[in-house]
This record gives sequence, C-alpha cells and structure tokens, in this order.
Amino acid sequence: MKKNRTIAGFMIGIFLVSLLWALFAGNSAISTKEIIQVLIGKGTSVQQTILFRVRIPRIVAAAFTGAALSVSGFLLQNSLNNVLASPGILGIHNGAGLFVLLYAWLFPYRYAGKGIAAFLGALLVTAVIYLLTTKTGISKTSVVLSGVAISALCLSGIDMIISLKPETVADRTAFSLGGFGSLNSTAVWMAVPVIVIVLFVSILTAPALDLMLLGDEVASGLGLSVRRYRILHITCAALLSGAAVSMCGIIGFVGLIVPNVVRLFYRGKSRGALLFVVLLGAEFLLICDTLGRVLFFPYELPCGLFLSLIGAPFLIWMLIRRRKRLGVK
Amino acid sequence: MIQVENLTMKYTYGPSFLVPHATFLPGEIATVIGRNGSGKSTFLRALAGQMPYEGSIRIGEKELKTLNPIERARQIAFLPQNVNVAHLSVKMLVEHGRYPYHGNVRRLNKEDDEHVERALFMAGLSDLSGRELGELSGGEQRRAFLAMVIAQNTPMILLDEPTTYMDHRYQEDFYEVLKKLAGEGKGIVMVCHDIVQSFTYSDRIFLMQDRCLSEGMTPEELAKEEACLRENFGAVMKKDSDPKALYRYTMKR
Repeated sequence: MKKNRTIAGFMIGIFLVSLLWALFAGNSAISTKEIIQVLIGKGTSVQQTILFRVRIPRIVAAAFTGAALSVSGFLLQNSLNNVLASPGILGIHNGAGLFVLLYAWLFPYRYAGKGIAAFLGALLVTAVIYLLTTKTGISKTSVVLSGVAISALCLSGIDMIISLKPETVADRTAFSLGGFGSLNSTAVWMAVPVIVIVLFVSILTAPALDLMLLGDEVASGLGLSVRRYRILHITCAALLSGAAVSMCGIIGFVGLIVPNVVRLFYRGKSRGALLFVVLLGAEFLLICDTLGRVLFFPYELPCGLFLSLIGAPFLIWMLIRRRKRLGVK
Repeated sequence: MIQVENLTMKYTYGPSFLVPHATFLPGEIATVIGRNGSGKSTFLRALAGQMPYEGSIRIGEKELKTLNPIERARQIAFLPQNVNVAHLSVKMLVEHGRYPYHGNVRRLNKEDDEHVERALFMAGLSDLSGRELGELSGGEQRRAFLAMVIAQNTPMILLDEPTTYMDHRYQEDFYEVLKKLAGEGKGIVMVCHDIVQSFTYSDRIFLMQDRCLSEGMTPEELAKEEACLRENFGAVMKKDSDPKALYRYTMKR
C-alpha cells in the first residue's frame, strides 16, 4: 500500500512537470514570461490566442487522449483476458479512418468535420461489434474475431476510396500518422466530455474486471453478469478509443504499452490500476507530444510516429518476456 | 437445499443429459461420480446456473431461473474445474468472495473482513494471505480458491474436481475443511473422479450413468451394487476394516 502511494505521488509529480513543460515549451513565438503574463490576464490578444486556442487545447487533447487510449487498452485486456489486446484489434481505428476518408471524398477541403466523422466511424464500429458479439456469442474469441473481420472490412473500404479518389491519400496519411499538430478544437470539446463520462463508468465498474480475470465461470459464480459487463467494457473501450481518434487520428501502442507498464509495478485491484493507467497514459502522451514539438524544432514530429518507435520494440520485448515467464526455451 | 425434478441439459451440438429427481441437503457432502464424458460437470454447471436447462432446479423455495446473478451467488457458491490464476494476492482473491454482498460500489466492511479471515484460516492459508497466487503450488492455489468460495458464505457449495493438483496430505486437509463446512450446515455437492475418495468422504453418492443421474445412495448402499460399479469403473468397492487404512474403502477387481 505504501509502495503504491509512493509511486502515485511520484507519477503525479511527473504529470505536473510534464504539464508545465508542455505549457512553456513550443515553437510559437511566445516566451515563458509572456505565457505567465497571459495567464495572469496581461497578454496581448495574439498571445492569448496562441495560449488559449492552440497550446492549452493541445495539452488537454494530449492528456485526455493518452488517458482514453490507455484505459481503452486496459479494459480490453482485462475483459478479454489477453494482455496483448488493444483498441486497434477491434477495428475502431480503421473504422474511424474509413469515415475520415469518406468525409474527405464527399466534402473535399473541409477540415472542420473530420474529427466528427472519425468519431462517428468509431461509434458505428462499436455498434457493429455490439451486434456481432451478441449474435455470435460473447466469448473472448468471437469478440476478437469480430474485430478482425470489421477491421479488414474497413481497410478494404479505405483502399477502395483511395483507388477511386487518389487525392484522398493525403488525408489517409495525415490520419494514420496521428498527432496534435492540426488539432480541431470542436473535436476536442466534443470528445473530452465523452472521455470523462466513460472514465467515470470504467472506474465505477472496475471490480467486475477483477472477477473476469479469474475466468468466466468463476466470475459468474460470484454473481457477475459476465455477458453484460463484457459488452459494457468493450463498448466503453470503443467509445474511449473513438473519442481519442476523433481528436488526433490513429495513435497506436499507447493502449498496449501503458496498461502493461502499470502491471509491472502495480499488484492490486483494477480500480487502483485504472487510476495509475489514467495518470501514466496522460503524462506519457503529453511528454511524447512535447518531445515531438521541441526535438527537431522548427519541424514537428507527429507523436504517433514517436509511439510507434517506442511501441514496436516494447511489444517484441513483452513477447520475449512472456515466453520466458512461461518457461519456453 | 437444492431440489431437482425432470432436468434435461443439452448442448447445441451434443448429447443431452437427464436427471429425473435429486435432492441435495444442507449439512451433507454429496458426490457425483461417473465415467469421463458422462455429464457430471455439465450437471454441476446447471446447478450453478451456468448451463441452460429444461425442468426444475429449486434453491430453497425459489426456482433457480428466477434468481438474478447476485441472488444466486448468495445461495450457491461454485468452484469450477478450470480457473485463471490472476496477478493478485491470496487475500485479494478471497475478498472477491464477498462480491455478492458489496458489488461494484460498497467497500468491504468489518463483517466482510471477518468472513475473509475466517475463510483463510479454515483453508489453512492465513500465513500465505499476502503471497501472490502465481507463486503458490497448484494445490495451494486450489485451496485459495476454496477459501474464496468459503468467504462467499452460501448455504450450498458446488465443487468441480476440487482436489485436482493436490497431493495426498493436502487432499486429506481439504476434505477435513469440507467436513467442517458440512458440520456448520452447509450443503456440499462435488464432482470427483476419484472413486475411493468419494466413497470415503461422502455422505451420499450420485452415479451418472448412460447420461442419467441415479438416485443418491450412501457409500454402503452403492458398494452393494457391484454389477453397476463393475460396469462403470471395472471394479467394485470393499470396505477396509484395517483401522490404519488411509481410506475406508478400497477398489477390487
């Protein structure tokens, strides 16, 4: 318990530092002193615009996206009992991508609605997963296979649109290289309330995740409606992922990395783990985004790219570690 | 008490199983035996409300189908044969046994803590309560899950092959715990593939034969059904009069 509190304190400290760093670091022409002036209400209108319309929404988006994707991965991993599960496997990313491309095809050069299109795509995929899993049974395998099927379907839709309308390739690339460089504040203010509500529901129903980890029969014997909670948690995961994707495009690996890192140091119930996942996810993406902004200044690297660079080796390391733990030579 | 009448269980693409009549009483250890694939575990899953069925299963005065999962979990505790060993301590696992009483919202209170401590003590795990499940032996893990089931504090307890992975000493201790629970008025229904143990520790034995459950018999009564035992297990059961014998019955060809 004491160890957990120490780690929580340490992580809150890192979060605050990363928040300040994200606030004060950046490539816009505004100094630390000017930022402080704006914060106490003395800046110019240009400085206020930079801070309140660009930088703060970006910080909010990065923190909430990190938390949302991480919790999404955590919910999927626990409810499907598979530590390698992540939002991408349910086809949510490709569903959102398909809708972004459809939007780009139907409404070329209109960027404002892309976030909403991505969110609608993610929601639609969630609804289809819900219907498919209730029709095919709610076993862990059928959920994953339904996700794989939907993902493949969306991917073929994406390829078809690119074949028919080659000019949409740019939108596809921008979406799959997820980042906060071209953030749409409407998408942020739409997504954040959804994320807050779903996070609250996830934390409230976290004890059900603990029981599901013991196996469906044990969980059911303890009075858990396994089917209902699995559907609830998968829907929550899809909503979180969809809301995040609508803000910043596809950012892979966060949902995979963060929950597994938390499992390395936290041994306890899911409610406690979820709080660590929220905190670590938020600060992880904040740091990655700020690094992307400052590392090659004046150029900016999308943080999705950063995460893939970190995430792919991490996944390989996890597979090796898992193999060693199972004692396979 | 569990009362079963005209029960039929059927897998979508498999055989159906029949239980014309069976009653499981509080304060007794009842064991279901039978050959592999005879439907023992299927029957136990139906009693636990985890298998669709036709007919009637009454828990006390209520029909099992009419109970919601929480109400059911307050009447029947179920330990299946296969469980997942999650990353958590023994105590945390046993605390899960109180889920039917606190659900997702309420924190464990003093009464819950008392049930958890008592369950750990009965299962002989008080010293191991802080250990991780994954660090324990297979037999200790089984006992930890038994402690979780004890903490659930239900009138009826269903156990599917509970002594799997246990060595002889652990098995003896395990059955002593079951006897204590039965002594407190809990009804135990278990599936067991070990015929000698079933005859030694059970008050009544139900034989699953030709996908149909027989009426419950005491071990003495069933031992007299030699032709039936020979047909099912290729052996008969003889009482061992040696006071130093480990089990009250031995198997003979």
